[in-house]
Amino acid sequence: MPPALDIRGLSKVYGDARGLGRRPSSTEGFSALEGLDLHVEAGAFFGLLGPNGAGKTTLISAVCNLIRITAGEVRVFGEPHDSLAARRLIGLSEQDVNLDRFLDVRETLLYHGGYYGMDRDRARRRAREMMEVFDLSGKAGVRAPKLSGGMRRRLLLARALMHEPRLVILDEPTAAVDFELRLELWRYIRRLHGEGTTILLTTHYLEEAEELCDEIALIRSGRLVARDSAEGLRSAYGATTLSEAYVRAMGGQEDVSFLA
Amino acid sequence: MVAVPAHRRGLAALATRETHRVLKLWLQTIAAPVLASFLFIVVFGLSLGERIDSVDAIPYDAYIVPGLIAMAMVQAAYSNNASSVFQARFEHYINDVLAAPMRAWEVNLGLTIGGVVRALAIGAALMVASLLVTPVGIAQPLVLLAAVALLCVLFGSLGVVVGIYAESFDHHMAVNSIAILPLAFLGGVFYSVESLPSPWEELSHLNPIFYLVQAMRFGFLGSADVPVALSLGVTAALAVLVVAWSARLFATGRRLKA
Repeated sequence: MPPALDIRGLSKVYGDARGLGRRPSSTEGFSALEGLDLHVEAGAFFGLLGPNGAGKTTLISAVCNLIRITAGEVRVFGEPHDSLAARRLIGLSEQDVNLDRFLDVRETLLYHGGYYGMDRDRARRRAREMMEVFDLSGKAGVRAPKLSGGMRRRLLLARALMHEPRLVILDEPTAAVDFELRLELWRYIRRLHGEGTTILLTTHYLEEAEELCDEIALIRSGRLVARDSAEGLRSAYGATTLSEAYVRAMGGQEDVSFLA
Repeated sequence: MVAVPAHRRGLAALATRETHRVLKLWLQTIAAPVLASFLFIVVFGLSLGERIDSVDAIPYDAYIVPGLIAMAMVQAAYSNNASSVFQARFEHYINDVLAAPMRAWEVNLGLTIGGVVRALAIGAALMVASLLVTPVGIAQPLVLLAAVALLCVLFGSLGVVVGIYAESFDHHMAVNSIAILPLAFLGGVFYSVESLPSPWEELSHLNPIFYLVQAMRFGFLGSADVPVALSLGVTAALAVLVVAWSARLFATGRRLKA
């Protein structure tokens, strides 16, 4: 079986997106990814860790066809990432809560199913199932802006899973959610992985990566600096905790012994 | 009910979403512009019209109807798509569409449909109201159909393009209030440009909306300031240019994807 994700020499320089009369943005001319290689096996639970601006979201956006890559090749289950076949296989839950303000919960899921080619009956069945799983059935007719933060986060995840993707990309899915919801989302993501779905997770919570991921890659300044299991990373950096290994990998000297 | 083929479900869903948005906000998107344009017809046509001589032997209340309908439809097609696309970009929910397995032209077409539906709904409502209260008729239905189709394509696509370039709500509002609205007013909606002194008459011929108003007027009344082939030709050429611009933005991802 081809790998879920095969990325070779991926580079992205922001700066080729000028518009009429537009002032250059702060990111223009900025190299977010520099010749990055990454290989994620089908069925893996893969974590991507790095500080803000390391290139995690850029990497995800490149895989999901949301940015124009500068150089390199991205394949999803053997298909070029910008092909329709590859796009059908990916489910993305973005870091930002980017829900359509005009749609209610049910419509959000049904239209997403439509965008991904689901027929109406299948989309209805799946939307019902997703609303039950994520405890959104009671809010089916409520528009996204009227939902609580936690419910919006659940809806984002439900939307990402609506079309039953084989590769689910979760960009900081538990950012700003309470502890109970975080545990609930962990439970569901684990179940999903148990059913054979490949998961690519980015997070700033190191304990989350350690708890969930089989393998973790550390990314800094657009380059992969290490990848291994949590145990392997601790051992490689002579650290007792993943936090310590992370700080060392990022070149920091901070004393993180209090995190042990 | 006709089932949508699997490979066109994305387009159908996006077109339905855009139409859904128009209908969900019908008071703002349809009722308000219909009322505003109808008031123009009532005030300028029925009230002041009795004091104004006929234009080209056409009663004034009938004379202004085609231009007013064109003006309302132009603004609807443009502003609907500009605000829908801008909002989707601004709040990043356009990513759900851009990541989906849809071809670039399908996304482009799907996003254009909302403005087309809105313009057609407004045009149809105004036409029915005008037929009831003014002596306007439909002299050349095929010309009218062609003019309406070109209007929807030209200004629907222009709205999408501006929605893609705009960096704030002010930008797309400015295009409407600084360019489209003045050009529509100066495009012979309320008068025949032949009655203008030189050089205003000649300058009016540089106004692209002038040709659209003339094509609509020929469709409704059977007469216009310029030959219908010229007015339809100029409008079609502009439509091709704007559609090509919009198609290129979607094909390359320029301005849509960083």
